[in-house]
Order: sequence, then C-alpha cells, then structure tokens
Amino acid sequence: MTPIVQTVNLKKTYMLGSVPVNALRGVNLTVEQGDFLAILGPSGSGKSTLLNMIGALDKPTEGKVFIEGVDVSQLNDNELADLRRRIGFVFQFFNIIPRFTARQNVELPMAITGKDDRRKRSEELLASVGLAGRMRHKPSELSGGERQRVAIARALANDPRFLLMDEPTGNIDSKTSHEIIDLLKKLNEEQGVTLIVVTHDQQVAAQTKRVVHMLDGLIVQEEVN
Amino acid sequence: MRIQDVFSFALSAIRLRKLRAGLTILGVVIGIAAVVALLSLSQGFQNSMTEQFETGFATNTLTVTTQGFGFGQDQSDISLFVNDTETIDAIENVQTSMAIIQKTCYLEVGENTFPVTVVAVDFSKYAEIYSSSFVAESGEIPLEPRDDVIVLGQRISDPWKNGTLLSTVGDAVNIVWTTRSGYTLTNKTYTGAVAGVLAEIGGFGLSGPSDTAVYIPISQAQSFFNTNEANTIIVQLANSDDATITNVSEAIESVFGGQVRVISPTALLSTITTAFSTIELFLAGIAGISLLVAGIGIMNIMIVSLMERTREIGILKALGMKNRTVLSIFLSESVIIGLIGATIGIASGWGLANVVSRVGLGGGGISGFGRRQTATIGMNIMPVLTPTLFLGAFAFGLIISVIFALYPAWRASRLRPVEALRYE
Repeated sequence: MTPIVQTVNLKKTYMLGSVPVNALRGVNLTVEQGDFLAILGPSGSGKSTLLNMIGALDKPTEGKVFIEGVDVSQLNDNELADLRRRIGFVFQFFNIIPRFTARQNVELPMAITGKDDRRKRSEELLASVGLAGRMRHKPSELSGGERQRVAIARALANDPRFLLMDEPTGNIDSKTSHEIIDLLKKLNEEQGVTLIVVTHDQQVAAQTKRVVHMLDGLIVQEEVN
Repeated sequence: MRIQDVFSFALSAIRLRKLRAGLTILGVVIGIAAVVALLSLSQGFQNSMTEQFETGFATNTLTVTTQGFGFGQDQSDISLFVNDTETIDAIENVQTSMAIIQKTCYLEVGENTFPVTVVAVDFSKYAEIYSSSFVAESGEIPLEPRDDVIVLGQRISDPWKNGTLLSTVGDAVNIVWTTRSGYTLTNKTYTGAVAGVLAEIGGFGLSGPSDTAVYIPISQAQSFFNTNEANTIIVQLANSDDATITNVSEAIESVFGGQVRVISPTALLSTITTAFSTIELFLAGIAGISLLVAGIGIMNIMIVSLMERTREIGILKALGMKNRTVLSIFLSESVIIGLIGATIGIASGWGLANVVSRVGLGGGGISGFGRRQTATIGMNIMPVLTPTLFLGAFAFGLIISVIFALYPAWRASRLRPVEALRYE
C-alpha cells in the first residue's frame, strides 16, 4: 500500500539574511494510513520546516516529498491548492479568522472546495470537538483550548487524508492540553484519522503511536510506543 | 469557490474596516458625481441652446452681413444696400432675398422709455421666409404696409410675462432715434400704431424674428433713418442642400469681392455643436481626474489591506484556496466599492445637477438686457441624464475600481503560503 506521506532524502536550505541555514539535511520519513506520529525535537531542529514540506506549503531544496504517491515538486500552484484541500492543517497559533464565528471558520474550507450542507457538517464537527454550545462565538470570545478545537474542527472539515499539527498544545494550559490529546486519540482510534503532530512536549509524544526525534535537521531516533 | 462565497468573503473583509472602506467609497462617489453632474448639466445646456437656436430656424436661409461674426473679425468697410437684393436674386438657386435695417432706438410707451432693437423688414417677405415665427398673436401683420405701422415682439408687449401689457394692438407708440450731425444730437421720432404683436418665439433668434424686437416696414425705415444701407440681407434658397448652401454662399461672397460674410444657420449650428463637444470633453476630463484620484485611493487601501491580511491569505492558501480565488476576492472587494460608489455617485451627481440648475441658474438664464426692459431670454437648463451617461458613469466607476485593484490583488494572489503564514 502506498504510504500517505513519504519523504526521500529531504533537504531544505533557506537564507537567513545572507547566512544559509540548513533546516533539513536529508530526512527520510514514511507515514502509513492510520498512524499517529509525533515529531519531537528542540526548537531549531527543523520539525516545523518538515511539517511545511509535508503540508505542501513549501518546496524542498533537494529530495522529494510524496503525498499518496504524488511527487509534490511536480505540481503547479493550482494542483498544490487541490492537494492542500486533502490535508488538515492545525497551526501553532490556531490561525482561525478573527472576524468569523466558530461555525463560519469551520465552514471556510468547505466554502473553498464548494461543498454543500456546510452548516450541518460544521455543526456536527464542532459538536464532535465539544463546542456544540459555542458555535456562534467569535475567536475573541473563546479560550485558547476552544480556539484550538475550532482549528481542529476546521482541519477535519474536508475529510482530509491526514492531519498535520504544529505544537497543538503549545499555547494552552496543561488541563486543556490533556483534553486536546484525548480528542486526538479518539479521532485516531475511533475514526482512523492519520495524525502527524510536531511537538517539543514529551508528554504529548508519549500518547502517540510512534515518535521520531529530530535534531539539527535530521531524524536521529525513532521509537514505537 | 462559488461566486457568492467569494463576494460574501469580500464583503466581510470590507465590513471589518468600515470607515476606511467608507472613505474610499466617498472618493469614488465624488468622482462619479462630478462626472454625472458636469456632463448632465452640459448636456442639458447644449439641448437648451440647440433648442433656442432651432426656434424659428430656417435651414434654407443665408444671412449676408458686413459685420464680423465672432472675435477678431473686423467689420468690413463696404456697405450693403437695400437694393443689393436685386444682385443676389440673380444668383442661381436663390429664391428671394430681403434687406434688413437694424437700429437701436428708444421706445416711448406712455411714460415708459426703454431701448429696443428696431428691425426694418419687408413684412410680406419676412413672413414668408419665417412663416413659423413671424406670426401675429393678436392683430395682424400688415402685408401691404400702410404708413407708420409697427409690429411688436411678444416681450415688448408683455415684458413681465404676466399679462400686464405695456402696449398692445391699436396703441400709438413712439420710436425715438438719436442721430448726430456735427456736434449736436438730434432726436427723430417715428410714431406708429401697433398693428400686431408676435406670438412668443422663445430662443435667441440666431437668425429670424425675436421676441425683443420692434418691427417696422423697410420702406418707412429708409426714409426715417435716411439711409439705404442694410445691415443684413436674408437670402432664401431653393433648397437646403449642403451643395446649394456652399455654392450660393461662395457666389455671394464673390459678388461682393469677399468683403461680406455669408452665414448659414445650419453651418453655425454645427459649429456650435462641435464647440459643445469640445467643452463636454474638457469637463469630462476634469471630472475624470477626480475619479483617477479615487482610483489611486482604492489602490492605496487595497495595498494596506493586503499587508494587514497577509497572514489571512496564508491561512486561505493552506486551506487549499487557489491563486485565482484570492485574486477574485480582492477584485470583488474593489467591485463592491466601485458598485456602491458608482450608484451613490450617479444619484448624488444627478441630484447636484438638479440643485445647481434650480438654484444656481435660477431657471431664468440671462436676464435684464435693458434698464427697464425685463426681457429675459428664457433659458431653463434641465440637466439630462442620458442612458449613455448613466451606463458610462457606472462602467467607468467600476472599471477604475477594478483597474486600480489589479496590482494589489495580483500581489495577494502571488503570496507564498509559508511566508504569508509567518508574516506578523
């Protein structure tokens, strides 16, 4: 079976001013359907860069990224946009749109793909992340954890093949972060959603099925929980 | 993304910055309003002028004069004589011609004295050439002129336009002509009985009868003014073809050695129309500049908006929005601004034009030529909003809005998702 995500000798160099930074120095990673993977590493280890590559938001300097067997580097802007519609992205800073209510935020990806029954679907999604009563609230009226749930509900809106999460517990308190982890485990176990989580939190990593450790742009260790 | 979703997204972005969007719209409103107000007024003015000129207009006539018409054209040194009509009548395609002697005199009616233009004509020929305007409303135009008859223009009889007649049929009026011999001024008085009052003509009387003139038979005038010099000769042509007008004009000019001017009302009207088109273009240009400024305003706010929303664009792209959708969202915003601006602009421009035409021009036009003479040349300028102007203003507002949004929208669509998401 084709892995959902596969990177082959992935390298990324970007310029920080005039200094070249080797963010990724040859990453080989394979993620299968139904996996719950944590990418663990200190800041600057290249984990966010890797996430951007897997999410088709950025292009590698060298090496390849295959998503469901498709070489991302061969795609044009339009095809990349189509690809991103099949990926659920949850950003570190939630990145939900402030002027929209929780429900409108969840409806947005469906508006982009032009789906019907957005309202019903967004209400179901918000209910499934425990926000049934907060649908009409704007982000400014929601707590950090609630915003994170809105972001997760939004990421699930178009039935993505996998979910990419950048520090999902980075900006919320520990109690809420437990709830978020439980929610993710539930999604993975009950609905079979493939999850890739970038974190520097050992506790989060311990809850996943598999952990890869990154350091200085390389995967240095891999373990199965 | 569906078109209605694009528009509702654009609208939500506009609503977020109401004041800024409002000011941008105001810019468009002012530009469009200026275009509509200026052009609808100038169109109205043009219509009104054309109408005035066409009143009592005879297309198959020529006016021969020694006076310069317009600026910088001197009066010729030769004179036209009343019996020059005989020479002119001999020219091919000339049906008939008649001389006009015109003098400025004082009219004495009871205790009132005021200056008038006395026009001396052959009543029967004049009535034949200007059969639609040289028509008596009361009394009659004496076709076989008896001695000392006078025909009054409508405004001379009824200067206040309210039925209070200064003089009417049967009244005896005096025409006083001041002449000079040596160092002494002499007043000569022509006393006549009003035989008829003309029906209201309106218009300026570019050629032909006027509401503000007094008419006497030319035979009387020759002896009263003691002259055989004619101011103008009116020529009636066999037809109003351009070729006839040109040929006869040239023939008359050559007869008088190029010392006279031959004016065709048709040619004059087309000259005036051309002049108006130029004025209109100029006005449209001025108004267009204000719209251009509005366009720059749109570009400005779009660029600011683009910077503020860089992160949002990054999110949209990460959610799978295509470049062209980002482009259309930004263009939709400017379309919305343009639509609102154009609609309000046309409405307020139209309103402004109406207010100006009522208040500014007083509905009266040019008034008060003489001292006591309240003869007003009735000119009501009604602004005209032609469908062309309406649609043109609308389209122009919309096009300007879109054109100036193209660059910011294009830039927004080209943003790279990773960089946009990282943008603070």
